[in-house]
Amino acid sequence: MTSLVSARGVSKSFGSVRAVDDVSFDIDKGKIMGLIGPNGAGKTTLLKAVLGLTDCEGSLSVLGLDPFRQRKELMQNICFIADVAVLPRWIRVNQLLDFVESVHPRFSRTRADELLARTKILPKAKIRELSKGMVTQLHLSIITAVDATLLVLDEPTIGLDIIFRKEFYSNLLNDYFDKERTILITTHQVEEIENLLTDVMFINEGRIVLHASMDALPERYVELMTSGENAERARQLNPIFERDVFGKKVLTFEGITRDQLRGLGELRTPGIADLFVAKVKGAAA
Amino acid sequence: MIGHQIALIKRELWEHRAIYVTPLVIALIVSIMAVTGQVVLSAFDHEVSIAIIGASNLGATERAAAITVLLAGVSSLLVMAMWVLTVFYSLDALYAERKDRSILFWRSLPCTDAETVVSKLLTAAVVIPLITFVVVMLTHLIVLALASLWLGFQGADAWHLIWRAAPLPSNWTATLVFLLALPLWLSPFIGWFLFVSAFTRRSPLLVAFLPIVILPLLERSLIGTSLFFDALFVRTGSLPLFRGLSTGEIFTYQGDDWSVGDRLPSGLLSLLDLSRFFGSPSLWIGLLVCGLFTTAAIYVRRYRDDS
Repeated sequence: MTSLVSARGVSKSFGSVRAVDDVSFDIDKGKIMGLIGPNGAGKTTLLKAVLGLTDCEGSLSVLGLDPFRQRKELMQNICFIADVAVLPRWIRVNQLLDFVESVHPRFSRTRADELLARTKILPKAKIRELSKGMVTQLHLSIITAVDATLLVLDEPTIGLDIIFRKEFYSNLLNDYFDKERTILITTHQVEEIENLLTDVMFINEGRIVLHASMDALPERYVELMTSGENAERARQLNPIFERDVFGKKVLTFEGITRDQLRGLGELRTPGIADLFVAKVKGAAA
Repeated sequence: MIGHQIALIKRELWEHRAIYVTPLVIALIVSIMAVTGQVVLSAFDHEVSIAIIGASNLGATERAAAITVLLAGVSSLLVMAMWVLTVFYSLDALYAERKDRSILFWRSLPCTDAETVVSKLLTAAVVIPLITFVVVMLTHLIVLALASLWLGFQGADAWHLIWRAAPLPSNWTATLVFLLALPLWLSPFIGWFLFVSAFTRRSPLLVAFLPIVILPLLERSLIGTSLFFDALFVRTGSLPLFRGLSTGEIFTYQGDDWSVGDRLPSGLLSLLDLSRFFGSPSLWIGLLVCGLFTTAAIYVRRYRDDS
């Protein structure tokens, strides 16, 4: 079994709204999967289903377990940061560590202390006395000290300043990630995680509109910056999306080789954010 | 499992410091009152001397009874505080974590919802009474020590008047039994409060108490019966833990004279009737109701999707 998360026809409705609509995908061991989607696309619902926080239709297996029905077993091998605001504000840092140590069989106190010693967080401090960035640092340190197979991050850096955000991702890569571990992450700040992802999945209106490895993107997608007549000729090749940048046209193509476009203008691989807009808006047009 | 419970209960004490701060504050107030009372009393030299002579002439049983009444007064203050504490704790237990969204963090750890809710039930029904019990003993010792000091200054024999007379082991055991029995008897309320704190979106206090007020009125006006009110009345009345004292135990007839008898039980323990308590169907019905509400609270915490 190489696939850690395996979803087949997963759906979840709230009343008449289908938040997640017949979604199928796999996440393999050692991957960093970015789940990208606009607000209300069903990202959080999908993550909740993966974490066993909500029930869903279809078949969903996480680490070989049914996440909703085998939550306790699941939580020994999975960690998640739902949002920066969720650490209890009344607790002290050392109390929090004591508690996690006594309930989590895979938590290494030594490792957590080691990681925290590198920060300005004092063991006696209460969470409410820490800045937002420090709370996230603390949460990440705790999670890094847990020997978990899958880490789920839902908007982990929301509301943080740029320094803390950069540091968060560099710590995530340096201290947490290795080939044995897998990360599933959602965020709106796509540009910041673009370079660390190995795989990407776009979700819109409850459906997956793209699922690819980052390495495969340059082969499948190409962006052409051009103008005038060349733009007209390029349009014949059915771009999935077109936008204006500084008076020039930028056309995004799917499944068109670079050779076919050579000579028509400047070619490059689209960034994730642009590609996302192209897929979502292009499909709507 | 037990390791988890200990960790979870410790967490409750970190979060709700009022559980031990409140009884300690009351202990402090009682001690201050004891000192002030003694200072005031000392102004009445003559009367104090007469009272001490009177006390010295009392029989051991009467002295024990007098001290027991005094100490029971101190305990009752702490018992009232305990019940108020239990109400507010149970209403907050599953509500605060949702309000500050820390529930998402707690649920990311390998503890089940059942373990968590049970730890809160145990805190309300066992831990709060045990802490109260320790403070009760402490307060009794402080009050008696202060009284001994004062008697010493008045030239009386405190050892004889107080320490030899006070039936402390019996009273303390009885207090412990009572403190543990009370939450069992009132357990349907604790269960209800926990359930309210698990499901309500706002003001748990109001949501918990409104039905208790409104349902009896509705029942009365719609159906004309008062079953719910009667059930509440029985439940909030005294618990079936005590046996009655017969007149013969309190007074004995000697010659032409009635006097307080030697058969008067010394200490509170002999007043308890555990078989009556555990034989009472009301107790078991109450525990069943508590169990149902607790299960419902676990279910809500487990299955409700708050987003």
